[in-house]
Amino acid sequence: MKSVRISLVLAIILALAFVSAPKADNHQSQSLTIVWAEWDPANYLQELSKDFTAETGIAVDVIQIPWPNFQDKVFTAFVGKSDLYDIVIGDSQWLGRNSQGQNYINLTDWINENIDVDSIYGPAMTAFAEYPKGSGTYWALPAEVDAAGYVYRKDLFEDPNEMKAFQAKYGYALAPPKTYDQLRDIAEFFTRPDQDLYGIATWYSKEYDGITMGFQQVMWSFGGAYGDAESHKVAGHINTDDAVKALEFYTSLLQFAPPDAPNYYWAETLNAYNSGKVAMAMNYFAFFPGVVDPKSNAISHDKSGFFIAPSGPKGHYISIGGQGMSISSYSKNKDLAKQYMKWFMQKPVQEKWAALGGFTPHKEVLQSDTFKTASPFNEAFAASFPYLRDFWAVPEYAELLEVCQTNWSQAISKIKSAKEALDAIARKHEEIFEDAGYYDE
Amino acid sequence: MSDYQLKMAFIMPTMILLILMNIFPLLWSLYLSFHRYKASMPAAPRFIGVRNYSRLLADPEIWGYFQTTAYFVILAVAAQFFIGFGLALLLNRDFRYKGFVTTLLLLPMMLSPVVVGLFWRFILSSDNAGLLNFFLSPFLKSPIGWTTNPKVAMLAVVIVDTWMWSPFMMLIALAGLSAVPKSLYEAADVDRASAWFKFREITLPLVSPLLLIALLFRTMDAFKMFDIVYVLTREGGPGTATETVSMNLYKLAFRNYNTGKACAMAYILLIIIVALSNIYVKYLNRVKGEAQET
Amino acid sequence: MGSRKNFVHYLILAFVAIAVIVYITPIYWILATSLKRLSDITTRLPKFVFDISLENYQKLMPPEGVADVTYLFLGEVLVGLLLFGFFSLFNVRLPRALSLRNLGLIWNSVFVLTCLYSFLSLPPMQSRLQTDARFNFLLLIVCTIIAYLLIAPWRKTGGLTSQTLKKQRLTFVLPSIFGTVAICAVLANGGSKYFYQLLNSIIIGGGSTILAVGLGTLAAYAFSRFDIAGKDDLLFFILSTRMLPPVVVVIPIYLMYSALGLRDTHFGLILLYTTFNVSFAVWLMKGFIDEIPKEYEDAALVDGYSRFQTFLKVILPQSVTGIAATAVFCLITAWNEFAFALVLTEVGGRAVTAPPSITSATGSTGMDWGKIAAGTFVFLLPVAVFTFLMRSHLLRGVTFGAVKK
Repeated sequence: MKSVRISLVLAIILALAFVSAPKADNHQSQSLTIVWAEWDPANYLQELSKDFTAETGIAVDVIQIPWPNFQDKVFTAFVGKSDLYDIVIGDSQWLGRNSQGQNYINLTDWINENIDVDSIYGPAMTAFAEYPKGSGTYWALPAEVDAAGYVYRKDLFEDPNEMKAFQAKYGYALAPPKTYDQLRDIAEFFTRPDQDLYGIATWYSKEYDGITMGFQQVMWSFGGAYGDAESHKVAGHINTDDAVKALEFYTSLLQFAPPDAPNYYWAETLNAYNSGKVAMAMNYFAFFPGVVDPKSNAISHDKSGFFIAPSGPKGHYISIGGQGMSISSYSKNKDLAKQYMKWFMQKPVQEKWAALGGFTPHKEVLQSDTFKTASPFNEAFAASFPYLRDFWAVPEYAELLEVCQTNWSQAISKIKSAKEALDAIARKHEEIFEDAGYYDE
Repeated sequence: MSDYQLKMAFIMPTMILLILMNIFPLLWSLYLSFHRYKASMPAAPRFIGVRNYSRLLADPEIWGYFQTTAYFVILAVAAQFFIGFGLALLLNRDFRYKGFVTTLLLLPMMLSPVVVGLFWRFILSSDNAGLLNFFLSPFLKSPIGWTTNPKVAMLAVVIVDTWMWSPFMMLIALAGLSAVPKSLYEAADVDRASAWFKFREITLPLVSPLLLIALLFRTMDAFKMFDIVYVLTREGGPGTATETVSMNLYKLAFRNYNTGKACAMAYILLIIIVALSNIYVKYLNRVKGEAQET
Repeated sequence: MGSRKNFVHYLILAFVAIAVIVYITPIYWILATSLKRLSDITTRLPKFVFDISLENYQKLMPPEGVADVTYLFLGEVLVGLLLFGFFSLFNVRLPRALSLRNLGLIWNSVFVLTCLYSFLSLPPMQSRLQTDARFNFLLLIVCTIIAYLLIAPWRKTGGLTSQTLKKQRLTFVLPSIFGTVAICAVLANGGSKYFYQLLNSIIIGGGSTILAVGLGTLAAYAFSRFDIAGKDDLLFFILSTRMLPPVVVVIPIYLMYSALGLRDTHFGLILLYTTFNVSFAVWLMKGFIDEIPKEYEDAALVDGYSRFQTFLKVILPQSVTGIAATAVFCLITAWNEFAFALVLTEVGGRAVTAPPSITSATGSTGMDWGKIAAGTFVFLLPVAVFTFLMRSHLLRGVTFGAVKK
């Protein structure tokens, strides 16, 4: 009896091992997996892809990764040579690293044969597809073009009493700011902690690229720069007096922001604006559908206006956003992925993409009037184009970004002075470039 | 089956597992720590001697992270020790629903640290519906920026970690307390000994070996703490106020993919932890010896 | 004197009550938040009175609705518990053909058949990235049979001692436990990401706990009873592996797993969590087995049992308490682990567990605290219930052998 029992248990354990053994992938039909960050455009893409499935029978799955982990998760998958993702819609800064790291496949020949490059908005092609810049080597096709912009409370800005009070206090009319000085004045004007109202919400977070994307446009507009694109020298560009002034300015905006502002990333900024806490908020345009949606913004969805990032004393620059579509070199469905990308770039598809809320890179669609009026913020978005600039796109960008994030975060929380933080960035950046061999010649 | 075979069959699976999954990776990372290697790049590891180590040891910011970690370990472990032991002393008596109350107190320990960190972000908020600031509002002029003010951010992390792990300390202290023979107290009562005397001469010596083990585990865990700062203070913010070594190491390894350098840093951390735990274990053995003599 | 003693007693109880309130408030707040609408969550001041809404829990459910089998399983879970309660409370005289034992067998067979039916009737999951959740039903059938065979008293004759009665009653709980898992499997198969991850957590947490406790008990017995060269050093070595910060070994393990294709597999994570728990298990179990008097074993050996049989017959039953306590700790550790899961699984992948994904409920409109709270609460329930069931063993279980009775 005993031995029966034991052998029975053993047999079952064997069966268990058999059942739980890795099963062969059930490829009952062809399918594509696209990975993108967790936001509305990814939902639009999932929606758009239904047409592709209807046409070809290929199922499309859009995986969404939360923004704070987006970069880390995609790169751990790449380094682990995971074949889970076929198409990666990655940030523009990733190009250098993923092309040099052989994570993206080189699409130059395929694009020249299959895609009409002239139909794509030129700067977008450069920013999202080309690496090294100007080489004509393509690693991606632009999928979503984006820029940083501002949303403001029209009802507050157009309130006659507010306008009068503002005119009396600052000597000019209350209107969406054109310069950072005006931005500061308006932010100060609307800061009323007793009413739980603050002037501005903008990105200060230490997560992923938060404070860098928020601050770099201020730095450029004040006359600072990351460094020399040719020599990769950083000292003397990023730690100039202009840059110090810019950082001090950005830090000073904190006093007109809600108490938790040093933690604000896109989600918190959006939350603050939607809950009626702030008069103005900086965010990427692609997040603004959440502002005009009555479901997520009950307070001001119909009372919101949009303006482009203001100019500074030494220029007008705006942080570029948006992503390009690349094919993972570890994918097993590269041909399907190419088929999808070719389909995506067709004009009718791009028109639908724009209509759903995607920011199309297609030149004609982008410049059409239908696009500009498709949503309340598309006009301000289109106006931002001439001023877009990007972070470093070199393979070492992640380290450079990390240094910026840490030091700027220290500067705004007053652990370091602005000068100290910028000097530290200059020193560390040059160290990184030196290690990577940019200065050997 | 002979005893020898049985012994081998019983021990070997564990040892093989530990060697495969711990020793082998450790040796590999030791090898990598002497190389310039980025796992994200196709280039093979290049031998550079001790440069990774010298770079790290010469970097004042790295020592800053060690300082932050030490600060956290001392504060958090001390708070957990006193609160946990205090709770155990309170609970060490018979009352109704004792088992239920103990389990309730253990609940925080059963949550995932990363979820705890995230949810406390909500509780500690000074913008929206922050529970703690709400309870403190009668005593304060303006809400405390728990996760935004670099001066109190560490305190916030310590509060969260203590809330979560003092029950563990309590559980172990309670186990020790309940094992103290009642006859010792009765004998002391006959001698009309004071409560303080009983605590110092009976309770403490008998419970201390167990407390030390609990301390050891908590210290090791506190050194490794990563989840809470990763989410609660967003990767060790504000600035670098709560950036622990583990947090920095994660960034070095999985954001920058400075694999060689990260391995070197891991080794520095490892050496510190091993040294510390060695001291602990030596001390523990001495206390244990003393406890057995009494 | 007496009244003063009473006063002190109540004072202490009052302190205990305050402590419980302080410790429970955040957990209550998680529960409360999970039951609030978004507009009640993002108020300026915390809101204590609110309309209860289940919308956050609905967000965890499959988007295309819940399959009917879910309710079938839910019914079985509840009926199983009711039967167990009924037979524990009332001593019912049953006809011979419908003895408690046969009823238990029937009840478990019903559950097994439901699993089989679900396996055959449910449509396969669409996603290429996730393993087919339906195979979990087969796994569940196997688990039920094993557990039934282990628990149910084997011998037909031999009288109804209270021990066998207890065991017979316990068989009614099996479908309730596995039924809960089956519900997760149905929901996961229906397309709920959350329940897919919860299911992964159950497989990985449960698998690694069983392995770690099993291996740990074996090794602990050997360390406790046999002469081993360099025993203290070996034991210290085993303990020291527990001290390794995960981030130290995660880099080489990540590279190793990438090379072997073990990233994002259940097996890989089970192996890893077992490694991390086994050292702890060895130490805890050794303390326990040390306490079991050697005389018991000697007596058994004289009776003609082999060493291995003694281990099964004498040591294992004696160390149930220790095994329970060890299992609680191992389960809590594996269940809640985050750093490895973050690095070794993919978003939307095969083996992704719940902790890295509960935290990602940001969506397109900002942090969805309600969904996070709902996910957290559901995730807390299994360990909380498990710990509650094991609570009586827990206290005695954590002495590490440091306190000699």
